[in-house]
Amino acid sequence: MLITWKYRERNTIIQRLDPRARIIFMLAMLFSVVQFWDLRLVLGFLALALAQYFLARLTWRETRRAWLLISILIVFMTILTFLTGRGGVSYAYFEEHVITRLGPFSLPIVGWQIGLDITVEKTVFAISQMVRMFAITTLAVTVPYTIDPSLYGVTFRGLGLPDKFAYAMDLAFRFVPTLGRDFSITLDSQRARGYEVEKLEGGIIAQIRKLAPLIVPVTINAIVSGEDIIDAMDLRCFGIGKRTWLQKLRYRKADWALIAFSVAMFVGCTVVRVAFPALGFVWVPQWILNLATMG
Amino acid sequence: MSDTAKKALTWLVVLVVFVALMWIASLLTGPEGVKLQGLAWLLWTLIAAVVIYIIYFATAASEAWVVGTRQVVYMAIGAALYGVLSWWANAAALPSVSLVSLRPTVCLPIFFGFVFGPVVGFFTGAVGNILGDFLTGWGVFPVWDIGNGFMGLMPGLVLLFADKKRSLNALTIAVAVLVVIAMAIILINPVVAHPWTGEETNFGGWVWVFLIGGVVVIIGRFVLERAGVDLAAVNIWGTLGIIVGIGFASIADIWVNGYTFFVAMVGEFTPAAGSNILNAMILTPILLAAYQAVQARTGR
Repeated sequence: MLITWKYRERNTIIQRLDPRARIIFMLAMLFSVVQFWDLRLVLGFLALALAQYFLARLTWRETRRAWLLISILIVFMTILTFLTGRGGVSYAYFEEHVITRLGPFSLPIVGWQIGLDITVEKTVFAISQMVRMFAITTLAVTVPYTIDPSLYGVTFRGLGLPDKFAYAMDLAFRFVPTLGRDFSITLDSQRARGYEVEKLEGGIIAQIRKLAPLIVPVTINAIVSGEDIIDAMDLRCFGIGKRTWLQKLRYRKADWALIAFSVAMFVGCTVVRVAFPALGFVWVPQWILNLATMG
Repeated sequence: MSDTAKKALTWLVVLVVFVALMWIASLLTGPEGVKLQGLAWLLWTLIAAVVIYIIYFATAASEAWVVGTRQVVYMAIGAALYGVLSWWANAAALPSVSLVSLRPTVCLPIFFGFVFGPVVGFFTGAVGNILGDFLTGWGVFPVWDIGNGFMGLMPGLVLLFADKKRSLNALTIAVAVLVVIAMAIILINPVVAHPWTGEETNFGGWVWVFLIGGVVVIIGRFVLERAGVDLAAVNIWGTLGIIVGIGFASIADIWVNGYTFFVAMVGEFTPAAGSNILNAMILTPILLAAYQAVQARTGR
């Protein structure tokens, strides 16, 4: 079992950007997109996220698994919101035009009478919700494939995280291959003793308990080894003075431009949202509204 | 400026910030607040941060908050372990309960928080979740990273108490007070909009649900304590951490993803918190017992 980072060097315009600028962009876009439910605007954000995804030259092949799992989750949650019927009411739309009415059905045990009104606004909200979640996901999925794991410590230090936390982050990324190897060795050792993690038997509690022979040795071994690292760091006076970093990050013109764009996007979106509240609500095209009128 | 004056000034600033945030929160829930609904989750996160800061500031003298070499190393080890094991749990076909896959690794932030303090616990949960998502290629979802951080931070608060039994007493009182507050809120205003239909519905019967739930939790504390104070403390603080962490992330998703309260609770909170509590209650005490044995042997 080989544990590897999803990152690889691609020499794309996205990868040449400073990781700090990219994280600022990601947060600015996240804070901007969550202010809107208007499908036209949300589609604009999706286009921006997709532009980043394609400029990073990510392929379907390498991101397929993540997309499949996340898509199932997004579709499931959207349908659940649609069926429970109150998503968006009073903050994304304020009146509803009924297309058709299902029910009422009686819920067992509690005896609640549940009916489902399929309305124009609810349907458009579900589409906007799905597009918005895909925009956020597209933005998020790009990060692990395109930011070098060895740069996280210095990146977060550059973003204002204290030295000790930034170093802990750097150390955590460096520990991953070592602990991954230790985990593989433990798994193989336990398998050699007849332990089959894929075929755990018994009830759910027994199954969980049977995972202990895998988790406990790896954790305790890591903690015991940690004592040597602590000693080594203490001997080198860790935490006494200001830290320096092996890698140095420098903003270039393109990074400043991206930061300026990110700040402008967030401020602009917030101002627009306050000045023109209707843009934040669900946008209903007239032709869909006609469906309700016809119904 | 004397230390007392500095402390008083800091308390004043914290109080002003908190009141300002609550005022913004009341604006957001008012008729004009709809304009800034999208930023409500940011406010939610800021309120959580201020609450943590208040806890920290009130107990700043405690060693639980110290971040030295030891804590830095255990933060890194905890996060890396949580990341690697989360990756394995996602990649391996582990047994599952309906749609919710088993997540045995949840015991790690709870264990690291309980043993090494709230800062180590928060870091293990938050950064470990980022690492796990990086290894699986899922991306970065800040709200869930913070939620995982809370799962480790809450059990770490046990170190703020002189001993674990006192921490359990404090929690028992807190549960009792919260149950009474919840019951009072329902009794004062039992008729509210139904989460599904929006029609005015009487929820007065839910008083009994809270009362029975509270009694079960308090009895559970004493039953667990009979098996050992450590066992009771790690399970109860761990459960609290999961409820706070997953609850925070699920509620934030109402604003981030537009879920209904029902979807956030039934679609996210219940399956995630339920399976996490089960995993944590079984695996964390085993991990703790193994650690205490090693600690007794090595004397560190």
